[in-house]
Amino acid sequence: MTYKVTEEGNSSTIFLDGEIDMDKTEGAKEVIFPIIDSGKDVYLNLSNVQYMDSSGISVLIESHQKALEQGTKLIIKDVSKSVLKVIMMAKLEQILNLE
Amino acid sequence: MSTEASDQTNLSEKKDFLVNSASLKDVRSFSREVFEKFKIKKDLREELVLAIAEAAQNIVKHAYKDYPDTQDRMAVRISCTDKELEISFFDKGKPVEKSKVKHRAIDDVKPGGLGTFFIQEIMDSIKFKEGDKPWINNLVLTKKL
Repeated sequence: MTYKVTEEGNSSTIFLDGEIDMDKTEGAKEVIFPIIDSGKDVYLNLSNVQYMDSSGISVLIESHQKALEQGTKLIIKDVSKSVLKVIMMAKLEQILNLE
Repeated sequence: MSTEASDQTNLSEKKDFLVNSASLKDVRSFSREVFEKFKIKKDLREELVLAIAEAAQNIVKHAYKDYPDTQDRMAVRISCTDKELEISFFDKGKPVEKSKVKHRAIDDVKPGGLGTFFIQEIMDSIKFKEGDKPWINNLVLTKKL
């Protein structure tokens, strides 16, 4: 998994790339959580994430809940078709902020 | 990767992997390779890959929970007839307690507990068996084709 972060005003966009599984979740959290903790709105762009398993979905749930606790927003953008299928299988499409 | 039969109506491939999270990508690569070889419908392949990866992840997370540095290997066998796909997992970890294998309530949104749910959603049957020596656990997943 690789990533890139861009900043604009009070929001940051995190572009994740690759496959997110149990082996990559700690790395994903290390990128996402500090930005949520900084109080900025976070856009998580998943257009280049082609595979995500239940561990990756857990990172999305934790990030979503962390953002709610911080009073910020986590918006998941441009989800690839394969990852959207997994989000829908977990019945999270109405829970997570998808754009 | 070993091929146990080459008959088009009864294909079988088996491979073993070190039990750790870094092996999961190799499990997925093996599965994708086998499904292409077995000519499994493309729209079904990634779902099956997810089910296999989740089952392998459960071995790492649960059967070897107390042994993160194990050098043990787990094996995955994918067998296919015209009508059914059978995926078997073999490991030497802690014996599975069937009564404890359950997913979280799907409307109780919290991290974790989804892997088994995904496997149940994707596959038609899930059976836990005692493994024949030297294996301890043998999980068998099936899917009608």
